[in-house]
Amino acid sequence: MRTLVYGLLAYLMTGAGMSLASEDAAMLEKGKYLAKAADCVACHTAPGKEPYAGGLAFELPFGTLYSPNITPDRETGIGGWSDEQFVKALQEGIGPEGDHYYPAFPYTSYTKMPREDILAIKAYLFSLDPVEQSAPENDIAFPFNQRWGLYFWNLLFLDEGRFEPDPDRSEDWNRGAYLVTGPGHCGECHTPRNLFQAMDSSERLAGADLGGWRAYNISGSDSHGIGTWTEEQLVNYFRQGYAEGLGVAGGPMAEVVDLSLRHLNDRDLRAIATYLKQTEPQATGLPRPTPLADTLAAPEQPGLGSKVFAEACASCHQWNGEGNQSPAATLAGLKTVHDPKARNLMGILMEGNPASSLPVNHRMPDFGTIYNDYELSALATFVLQHFGGLDAEVTPEQIRERQAAALH
Amino acid sequence: MQTVKVNNQTHVVDVPGDMPLLWVLRDILKLTGTKFGCGIAQCGACTVHMDGQPIRSCVLPVGDVSGREITTIEAIGEQPLAQKVQRAWLDHEVAQCGYCQSGQIMSAVALLANNNRIDDHAIDQAMAGNICRCATYTRIRSAIQDVSESVGVWQP
Ligand code: FES
Ligand code: FES
Repeated sequence: MRTLVYGLLAYLMTGAGMSLASEDAAMLEKGKYLAKAADCVACHTAPGKEPYAGGLAFELPFGTLYSPNITPDRETGIGGWSDEQFVKALQEGIGPEGDHYYPAFPYTSYTKMPREDILAIKAYLFSLDPVEQSAPENDIAFPFNQRWGLYFWNLLFLDEGRFEPDPDRSEDWNRGAYLVTGPGHCGECHTPRNLFQAMDSSERLAGADLGGWRAYNISGSDSHGIGTWTEEQLVNYFRQGYAEGLGVAGGPMAEVVDLSLRHLNDRDLRAIATYLKQTEPQATGLPRPTPLADTLAAPEQPGLGSKVFAEACASCHQWNGEGNQSPAATLAGLKTVHDPKARNLMGILMEGNPASSLPVNHRMPDFGTIYNDYELSALATFVLQHFGGLDAEVTPEQIRERQAAALH
Repeated sequence: MQTVKVNNQTHVVDVPGDMPLLWVLRDILKLTGTKFGCGIAQCGACTVHMDGQPIRSCVLPVGDVSGREITTIEAIGEQPLAQKVQRAWLDHEVAQCGYCQSGQIMSAVALLANNNRIDDHAIDQAMAGNICRCATYTRIRSAIQDVSESVGVWQP
């Protein structure tokens, strides 16, 4: 009899223990997934340092900010934070000591996240190994170093509150809306900012500049946004970093695909596509280009630009702009070769797309150190004229300025 | 398992689909005539033909090759035009160290096969992606000129 009672007790205890453990595991899994969706690691990791340990520098118009360590180290990280403090940080942009965060930390988007999602992220972060590493002091000029000023900024621009599903819309649309406006914080880069560095709600997702790159218009507009992309094409872009003849993720967006989007499940990617396609059309910025005739031949007249193209580019991109070994190398139809300011063109030429997570036929070498500013400007000019049919010119000065404009 | 058709022979190889074709050619199929130079599509040493087009095998995942015909330097000499190219290469004693030469020949054959007018500028455009540290460029140019004259596509 005794054995039976003990056995029963043991059974009950391990049973309860197991269900707790599996709840914890589910919460960790969810937190890990949401941390990916929110792309925390992109900003909270310095080059070559431990993930989530912070220290990445942000060159902003008013000074330099450093991302903090969000590993559970008690001294230098967030190991001592309570649930309350963590939720307040994400929903209101207020730290444990009542200090206001600069809105470079996208709490204006994270505020849409419900408490349980935020606590799942916290559980995941607290499951990581603590890393002892302090970020350098922020170097912000007066008056922006007066953080109390952000109190008023928040009054004006922080639309504090959780995401409310729209009962008239589909479940997919609502999931997409949550991911895009909440954890995904797409608008933080794709929505232009007003004079006060707040997202301009009248131009949602209409595209914006950052660190020399152009975050393109991703509103539902057919003429300027992603309205004509099919859901399939959008999902492919999120998953592989390109949609043939429509767009290739470069610079910060390549990082978003690498660290965040490609890890999301198909349903969520589809939901994001559904939502984006139905966002209010913004007919501003670069129009969606019509690709030139697909039989572009090599130019008759040799020049420095076409010479560099022949040496370094033609074997993958070909003279007609069709990817040779991969559709990822298709140039025809990309906004990037139709932008008279050559913003992303200069970026991709100089920084490339070398992520080792990409398949070999998708990687792009960085030519910024291989060619000088004259060669790069001639090459960029050639690309705009040849593939974009533009009468544009990129100067060596522009290349030098672009070099100086890097975000980090 | 990946299926590749190289020089008219079909091989099933046990490698991941993201392995570059060049690795498969050299390390698995032991076709070492195709060389590795840079690994990032910048030197041309690894050039082979895929359905008659010159491609850089160092940046082509083998998983993308199924159903396509790959031809390497080992078999290109079976094509009459390529025989002329190889003959001209010997006549002009093009090779110096030889390392870049299989890539050079593969690009030259594709240039000659795919164009019905060839001039110096066209040679520059097609061959600029194949670099040669021994600087055999002028001999490469003369050899291609010779062949294009003999097949009637030279535009002086
Ligand atoms: S090894 Fe492939 S181009 Fe250099
Ligand atoms: S012959 Fe030596 S590298 Fe070309």
